[in-house]
Amino acid sequence: MNTLTKEIKVPGLYRVLKATVDEIIEESPLIKTLVMTPDEPFSFKTGEFIELTLDGLGEAPFTPSSSPFITEHLEVTIMKAGYLTEKFHNLQAGDILGIRGPFGRGYPVDRFFGKEVLIVGGGCGLAPIRSLLYTLIELKDKVKKVVLLYGSKTPTDCIYKPMFSKLNSIEKFETHRSADKADGTEWDESIGLVTKLLDKPRVNIDNAIAVVCGPPIMMKFATLRLLELGFSDDEIYLSMEKNMSCGLGKCGHCMMGEFFVCKDGPVFTYAEIKHNPEIWK
Amino acid sequence: MLIQLSEDGEILYAPVRHNGAFDYKLIKGKDVEGIVYNEAKPASPLKIFFLPIRLNVSGEAKPPGRTIILGATSCDIEGLKLLDTIYIDKDYTDETYLSRRQNTIIIGTPCHKTAENCHCTVYGLNPWPGSGSDVSLSSIDDSFILSALSEKGDNFIKEVRKRINAEEPGKSDIENIRNLNESTAAEVSSMNDGLPGTKETGSLIVKANKEFWKKHSDKCVSCGACSAICPTCTCFLLIDRPGFEKIKQQDTCQYPAFERVAGGEDPLRELSVRFHNRYMCKYVWKPERFEALACTGCGRCIDTCIANISKNEVIMELT
Repeated sequence: MNTLTKEIKVPGLYRVLKATVDEIIEESPLIKTLVMTPDEPFSFKTGEFIELTLDGLGEAPFTPSSSPFITEHLEVTIMKAGYLTEKFHNLQAGDILGIRGPFGRGYPVDRFFGKEVLIVGGGCGLAPIRSLLYTLIELKDKVKKVVLLYGSKTPTDCIYKPMFSKLNSIEKFETHRSADKADGTEWDESIGLVTKLLDKPRVNIDNAIAVVCGPPIMMKFATLRLLELGFSDDEIYLSMEKNMSCGLGKCGHCMMGEFFVCKDGPVFTYAEIKHNPEIWK
Repeated sequence: MLIQLSEDGEILYAPVRHNGAFDYKLIKGKDVEGIVYNEAKPASPLKIFFLPIRLNVSGEAKPPGRTIILGATSCDIEGLKLLDTIYIDKDYTDETYLSRRQNTIIIGTPCHKTAENCHCTVYGLNPWPGSGSDVSLSSIDDSFILSALSEKGDNFIKEVRKRINAEEPGKSDIENIRNLNESTAAEVSSMNDGLPGTKETGSLIVKANKEFWKKHSDKCVSCGACSAICPTCTCFLLIDRPGFEKIKQQDTCQYPAFERVAGGEDPLRELSVRFHNRYMCKYVWKPERFEALACTGCGRCIDTCIANISKNEVIMELT
């Protein structure tokens, strides 16, 4: 096909959809959730990401942490890590943001059907996972079991605290938490790295898939442990964090070997990317 | 013919000599006399017409008027194939790029001279324009020989014939051009004896160890000139301006922090890793991913490097 004869289907490739901040929820000392109402209903599939713009200041990629079944509101959970994320944390209700997207390839939920789903999350990596959990709750008749293992640095750093008891009350769902170290606050769950939670059998590995999302170092060791446990390379789904900037597979900032993470990912199976030794950097 | 085009108000760019080098210039009236024909590549790559260094990409794309670019060489024309693949892909078409491509007539010129670092033939190209350009133009004995290479080019030649008197080229002229083309190809090949092709270069690069890249990147100052001047480097930075405007600006993986994320991780933190990244991108990742060359052998990165790093010497050391 001569590409030059192509008609433009999506005008305004870099145009933003405006959204108004409704509420800011403090999840932990470093993490806040922005609840916003886009000017138009906004649809996305779980695991896809958006670019969130602060007018004139910059934009950054985030995977929505809200349910894809809700299009009137959107929630984005943000860890304060630099200049822009600090500005996001300082927003007030009524402030206007810009959204571009959704972009990328999210979780292939239909491939989880009929299986046990083992989810390993760390830190702010629970944000995309929460959206996946909302999806799996809606589709719970189609999966056998959902086990969430979540690790935070301290009990205080654990986000979405009310969600865990709710999940545990849902048939087929169970959660286990771990904090790297105690901090004196009330905590009746494990102490240690999240990978320690994998020491106990949680799922029937012969009919299970695993999802991992968190800081690169945690993803690396969780993946290695899952492989040891007997998960095959194509049964481990990783949500990669790279510098996704344009979201369109063009600007090159998120290239990971031959992949544009923004377009080919951010969700990859380990099998797809394991040949690249640089993935955990 | 060119004076006629210029007088008719066409937007015409062609390479013009200036201080020993030559580069594209908007041709007006008398400028026509300074146009350089059938030499090796102009100083700037052809991509500058489609991917301006800085561009506001907010709102609707304003298609530019019809633009005629004369003097594009084979290496640059081939480079457009990768740009087209990335910017006109099935999911997201960059309309500012597409409208520029659609409104441009590319008049390629066969190279009848070579420049110091030309090596297009190593990657399977001929030093004369083929698919990807619209017209081929050779200047022989004060006359121009034009041939159409696309439907757009065919229409353009018909249009030109209506405006000026033109004859069918003689057999000897065509033979003459063919000989000049072939002799340039032979010269480029002999200049690069032993330099491996794309695939072999890729295999050699993959095998090279960290020490190799540290040694060769030692002189690199991360200025990014090699990318700026490269006909296939396409990376850009999106900059925000008030009013939710987005500015797209040429960028390169050679700059520090190109891949850094807010959490602090930066896969390309080390200079030698950034340096290595460019070689991987050109000879391993892009060729694996796309059916287009990511190095077309123009040699500009060698011409332009202020640290005098020769990509080809680096590759030859691996052979």
